[in-house]
Amino acid sequence: MTNVLSGVLAAAIASGTVIALAALGELLAERSGVQNLGLEGVMAMGALTAIAAVRWYPDPYFGLLAAILVGLLLGVIYALATVVFRANQVLCGLGLAFFGTGLSGRLGAPLSGFPSPATFQPVRIPLLADIPIIGNAVFNQPLLVYGAFFVLPPLISFVIHQTRHGMQVRAVGENPGAADACGISIMKIRLLYTCIGCILAAIGGAYITLAFTPSWIEGITAGRGWIAIALVIFGAWRPLPVVLGALLFGAVTSLGFVAQIQGWGIPSSFLAMMPYLGTILLMAIPILFRSRALRKLSTSPAALGIPYIREGL
Amino acid sequence: MKADQGSSQPSVWRFRRRTDAPFWLNILIRLFAVALALVLVGVTLELSGLEPIALGKKALLQTLATSYGIQQTVILATPLIMTGLAVALGMKMRLWNIGTDGQLYLGAFAATAVGLFVQGPTWIMLVLMFMAGALGGILWIFIPALLRAYWNVNEIITTLLLNFVAVLLVSHFAIGPWRDTGAAILSATRRIPYELPAFGDSYLHIGIFIPVIIAALLAIMMRNTRWGYEVRVIGSNRGAAEFTGIPVLRHILLIMLLSGAIAGISGMIIIAGTSHRLSGTISNSYGYMGIIVAALANGSPLGVLISGVLLAILLNAGIVLQTSGLSVSAMLAINGVILIFAAVGEVATQYRLVREQIETRLKPDAGRLADDQAMQAGADAPEKEKTE
Repeated sequence: MTNVLSGVLAAAIASGTVIALAALGELLAERSGVQNLGLEGVMAMGALTAIAAVRWYPDPYFGLLAAILVGLLLGVIYALATVVFRANQVLCGLGLAFFGTGLSGRLGAPLSGFPSPATFQPVRIPLLADIPIIGNAVFNQPLLVYGAFFVLPPLISFVIHQTRHGMQVRAVGENPGAADACGISIMKIRLLYTCIGCILAAIGGAYITLAFTPSWIEGITAGRGWIAIALVIFGAWRPLPVVLGALLFGAVTSLGFVAQIQGWGIPSSFLAMMPYLGTILLMAIPILFRSRALRKLSTSPAALGIPYIREGL
Repeated sequence: MKADQGSSQPSVWRFRRRTDAPFWLNILIRLFAVALALVLVGVTLELSGLEPIALGKKALLQTLATSYGIQQTVILATPLIMTGLAVALGMKMRLWNIGTDGQLYLGAFAATAVGLFVQGPTWIMLVLMFMAGALGGILWIFIPALLRAYWNVNEIITTLLLNFVAVLLVSHFAIGPWRDTGAAILSATRRIPYELPAFGDSYLHIGIFIPVIIAALLAIMMRNTRWGYEVRVIGSNRGAAEFTGIPVLRHILLIMLLSGAIAGISGMIIIAGTSHRLSGTISNSYGYMGIIVAALANGSPLGVLISGVLLAILLNAGIVLQTSGLSVSAMLAINGVILIFAAVGEVATQYRLVREQIETRLKPDAGRLADDQAMQAGADAPEKEKTE
């Protein structure tokens, strides 16, 4: 039983990492007022780039670097369209999602089914990994997992809430007019955080093909980019709840694996639906049970999705 | 810049916002977006060693110069226009129904259930299937619509996630309980005996008129009814609509359910008109392409008819070229590029390039300097206030 529990936890963390990385990226972009619905496409391109790169030079960190570069490129394209040209973010985001999933499917066709020649190896943290049940699941994971769960959330939380720069980012997302009047460059901050968001989504994709399920098939991201966007809303634009949501989502997914292994007689397609239905449930829960005071906390950045145009222009 | 030399009141080119872009510009910009995307694809094909011009010629000839090609284009245009209308309807109130693919599947699912398990005269059965299709679509958008209307839950995400669920559900039944056991190779249901009447021995059936009728109905309702007026008011200013007592929440719910119903009916048309069997692959990303159809039409129901046909030509060209290295995924990628270009082009219609004189705060002979400063600063706020 402890083995099963440990296994569920390990699987939850592994599949939660992908979502957590992408969701943290989206959180940063949305805090600066840019909604990026294209995460799914960026993640797919990141996943494909990573595995294609390690097939050429078998070092997982080379794959990661390649994925980061592609994420940056897509981020620049998206930011150019939405921040510089101020185009509709919903349309551009959907366009990016189609573009990324479509292109990765086309370019990845020759790689389909091959296992990844190099993967991230787990790094065992001494002492902590010896804790019964959770130890091996939590503290014997690739470095990216520690990054997604232990480094990034406190770091982002600190930068956003405790530093002057973070306050500027929030100001740009909440009231760009006021921020502009204070001399903050709206464009610079939005460009920066849109690109960081895309890079994190691409890293999430790289984690899929280099650690989680180390091979490529079309549609390997399976809607995780969309789920990440939903989790940002669920987590009320705060890093810690977002990461916990990702873990919860991972648990729901791994429950599907367990059900399959234990043979509970639920058809596999119904198990595969669980993450999507679970995400919708997650989005619905806060509004049904939260008190009014908490609901106030969970409102989106006021300027989210609205291109900034200086008055009078 | 030549005119500035020696002039005491220098002038610069400036972009000014406008809301009155002429109709022809809107059309031109969108055609330009599609053309630019295709040029980009052509360049990519050229670089990867294919011959884009020859391929394009082949695709266009097979799409528009043969009777079969034209029939296929019309067949493809039908669901594209339907899903486009479904998305466009939501756009009127700034609602995004991204789940038309799922609603299409559920509509097809419900229509198939009726077709497989109820017996009756063909005409009555077709009407029943039509209603089942609409109901399936409504069912699939009901929860997102409810959440959006009363609790303000983001409908983009909820409708989209249900697409994945819909495909899984339909595949489960098509491969599992409803599978046609007679034909071993098919992962689809039995052939449904009720079919929309076809014209002679062509592939066309009377279902191709349904999108035209619905588009006309929507256009009339939007323009000439109180309901349409209220919807337009909510779309342009929700606060004002609430203030005047328009039941905004009820309108949101109704519009979304109607949008789901239209998408569901397109699933029924596919089942009763062309595929006749339910499977997990009856939609060629129609729902996703519907978003592009609606975006190109800028939410106008009659515009959707045109952009739907345009995208159908593109989709058919893509299908023709599948043997030459293009795939469904490549088509999706091209669609993504078109969507981004169309969105950026939309911005271009909101601006007008005008030449304006600037008053300078400096001495007249320093006008040249001030002009340069203005150029560098772009839309520098104090300068601009003076010009107005």
